[in-house]
Amino acid sequence: MIRKTRIKRTWLAAAVIASGSLLATALPANAETGVSASEIKLGITLPLTGAASPGYNKIGNAMNAYFKYVNDNGGVYGRKVTLIQKNDEYSPQLSISKTNELILRDKVFALVGPLGTANFTAVHKSVGLAKRGVPSLFLNTGFSGFSNKKSYPSSFMVLPSYAMEAKIIAQFLKENHAGKKLGIVYQNDEFGIDGMGAFKAAGTKFDVTVPYTSGSQSAATAQTWVSQLAAGGAQVVVFFGVTSATAPLLAVSAAARYAPQWILGSVGSDPLTLRALGVPVAVLNGAQTPAGNPSPNDTSDEYVKQFQEINTKYNTGTAFDDYVLQGMNIGLMTVQALRAAGKNLTRKGLVRAMESKGSTFASVAYSPLGFSKTSNVGHTGYYMAVMDANGDRKPFGGKVTLYTTDSGSGPVVVSTFKRPAMPAKGLPSNS
Amino acid sequence: MRTFKFKRSLTLVAVSSLLSITVVSIPTAAQATPVCTTASGVTTCLGATSDTAPYMLMTPANFNGTVYLYSHGYRPNVPVPAGIPGYGGYTVTNTPEPAPGGNAQIIGTLLAKGYAVMGSGFARQGWNADSAIKTNVELIGVFKKQYPKTTKVVAWGNSLGGFITQALAEKYPDLISAAAPLCMASDLTPLMTFAGDALWGIKTFFDPTIKGGNYSAGTAGYAEAMGDLVKVFTVIGAMQAAIAANPTAPAWPATSKVPDALKAVPSRSALVLVALMSGMPMQSAHFDSTSAPAGLPASNALSFQLAINPALASLENLANAAALGVLATHDVEQQAGGAVFDNTATDYSARVSAERFIWSSALSGEAGVNALLGYLAAVPRVKGNPAAIAKMASLASHNGKVEVPTILFTGTADPVTTPGNQQATIDKYAAYSAEKWAAAKKVGDRKRPANNQLTLWNFPPEKYSKFTAAGSPDTTVAAATGTNHCNFTVSQYLAIADLLAYAAENGKNMSGGALYTKLRKAGNMTYDRGYNAPKLKYYGE
Repeated sequence: MIRKTRIKRTWLAAAVIASGSLLATALPANAETGVSASEIKLGITLPLTGAASPGYNKIGNAMNAYFKYVNDNGGVYGRKVTLIQKNDEYSPQLSISKTNELILRDKVFALVGPLGTANFTAVHKSVGLAKRGVPSLFLNTGFSGFSNKKSYPSSFMVLPSYAMEAKIIAQFLKENHAGKKLGIVYQNDEFGIDGMGAFKAAGTKFDVTVPYTSGSQSAATAQTWVSQLAAGGAQVVVFFGVTSATAPLLAVSAAARYAPQWILGSVGSDPLTLRALGVPVAVLNGAQTPAGNPSPNDTSDEYVKQFQEINTKYNTGTAFDDYVLQGMNIGLMTVQALRAAGKNLTRKGLVRAMESKGSTFASVAYSPLGFSKTSNVGHTGYYMAVMDANGDRKPFGGKVTLYTTDSGSGPVVVSTFKRPAMPAKGLPSNS
Repeated sequence: MRTFKFKRSLTLVAVSSLLSITVVSIPTAAQATPVCTTASGVTTCLGATSDTAPYMLMTPANFNGTVYLYSHGYRPNVPVPAGIPGYGGYTVTNTPEPAPGGNAQIIGTLLAKGYAVMGSGFARQGWNADSAIKTNVELIGVFKKQYPKTTKVVAWGNSLGGFITQALAEKYPDLISAAAPLCMASDLTPLMTFAGDALWGIKTFFDPTIKGGNYSAGTAGYAEAMGDLVKVFTVIGAMQAAIAANPTAPAWPATSKVPDALKAVPSRSALVLVALMSGMPMQSAHFDSTSAPAGLPASNALSFQLAINPALASLENLANAAALGVLATHDVEQQAGGAVFDNTATDYSARVSAERFIWSSALSGEAGVNALLGYLAAVPRVKGNPAAIAKMASLASHNGKVEVPTILFTGTADPVTTPGNQQATIDKYAAYSAEKWAAAKKVGDRKRPANNQLTLWNFPPEKYSKFTAAGSPDTTVAAATGTNHCNFTVSQYLAIADLLAYAAENGKNMSGGALYTKLRKAGNMTYDRGYNAPKLKYYGE
């Protein structure tokens, strides 16, 4: 009798274990914040309104569109990915409170694509991301300071650093604009300083230097920049700032019939956004720019083609531009990171996955990813491009010549790196 | 950028919460035995401890054995003549304060629940932690003698009273069962460095005739300090007018002696730098450092958000803290025997190494901040008196080692006792806990020591700056929650009182759903172990 009871209990226990295993396979149980059996909750802060929002305000919706596409195709190991967007209006103080809201109230699992250097500096310092162990993936800023793994152990960049960009522009200036009078307009904070330090290290000497304070950009201030550039006789002008500053600079220059050779930094050079902000397409024609991604109009590119299809279906009515491309790509990389972290998703596991597998992720950008156990550097290079009469971006010299470098004293080299293929149907299957 | 008019001077809203408000009468003289009267079921006893500190005990007829010992905040130890903005007419008082602000609702609620309340007015005003701790120890004995059925004593206090409360919890765990240091002051050295940096910054940029410390002894020093108060508020008033007249490029005050070249940097950026280098929060009672008036063109709105609003927040917080800075500096110098502020080795550039990027627009970019820091690096520094500094350092301080449940609560934008004070106590306790845990493991004890510290924060809303229809900042509205000094509601105080009672009864802090419910009902009280407030700059952050 006793024996029989024991057998029954054993069977019962086995059945429970078996059903538990099945459950674990189909619906992974998880105790991590922001992760349930059916959902992974992510958050992003970015300017959705205000003077700094043009272009940036498309990134979150583009990420969301990609996540919806993935969700409709089975999600990430059966979990749907949701993204909560918070409008910080580009104000660091607001970024802090919005991030607190994401972490404490919305209880997101991780931050993805938070935007702005001052904003993320403020968030990291005040919200204590490292102390909380909250991963922050694919920061939408190229400040090289964020590549300090010790200070930012759970953060990962995506853009090449501003220092890398400046080194590559410096090389380009040497090779293509030697002997010309050089001018530069730069945002006078860590963004511009990062670039200016690299220009200096590369030996680039600007004849006219025009710093501007972030937030001060307007048509009125642009008048003073153009006056200084014109008075100094700058023939080639590098612009190292945000789109909301590029637009008045180019518009005012056009009105003043001041037409130097523009070299527009990657951050403020999306043609579609500039045109929407009133920059005549003729002004953009011939402007040179470092670019990490193919043109958003290049449908021969498998990534662009796939993302355009997703955009048409899931982000209806939104013009496909560099920002949408960037948002979709961050979505793609995020899904790969989540998959790499496994079914039993934890914040620590996500960080480990980024460190061990992040460098192999598929991404639209041409340059290699620098993620490792000791590095949170994202993409590491640019090619130079030129804008045409339609405001489209074509590789300078007719073909993509990729330059890679680091944020320090390493050389700028032509890279033969072959980026990974777009996963079939744009749906990662990595683990 | 359009100009605007303030509906109210910032200096008028500056100090409302600095002075403890009392509602009880002062005992007539030092008395070994309290004199008690009973009315409406409450026995009120007045007396004085051996150091002549007057006290008050209030006990209900249905006394349940638990008494709340309240320690009041900083009261200046000198009278402030009429005419000084905010403080004018203050006279030194040692009226006992048995509950925060002597608030009748708080007292009535606790008495109705069967608790007793008590508090001393302390024998000396100004920074009095060492003597106040002794006074409180004696007062506990007085109460227990008067009410032998006393089973629990819980301590709480605001500001300096919060410091005293934490010190009691550290030094006398056998006398108290739980403690709640609220909006607590820090150890004196960082606190006086904070005040010194702010005053020195105001002096250096805006009016070099401000003495800012190293006051003479006796009446001459008192006159110097009062003179400083007038000058500081004159500068603040001038800056307020200048920003209102030209928010983008406000004029430097007429009293400023900075080189003309430096005046190319907007004076508002110097204000922001002073706030940042001293460790002041960037949200004030009425300025959230995020908002702009409605109707501005987008580019102007962004500029207001990133540059003008933070300058106004800095101005308002400096107005709140500078007066106490002058009075406390005068007070502590008199006690220590000389100048206690020394910035001869201070690297102000290092102080703002992260903030200069976060607040780049408000600091007028790298060019602006470099020019301002360059000036600070070039001008003469203040040399302190080593003996006085040593004496100050020898006064009561915290080690963070508590064995009784403690509840910490503060506003994250308190400009007088900044949230870093609470953070420093949290960090000290964390280090102590780690030490205890390591020691326990060494002897084979696998049970982690209990966490006796419950830390609560009062965060300001995301946006709270108000503007008139004409677009001017409206400073007539109440200070936002989480801002100003010890700006707590009665509901929050009563929630703290409940948490103290629970902790005393159970030997541990409330946790889980009960805690969250309690906090939610009180409003604007957040339990977040992940939050890390920036500590005062002296601590090295």
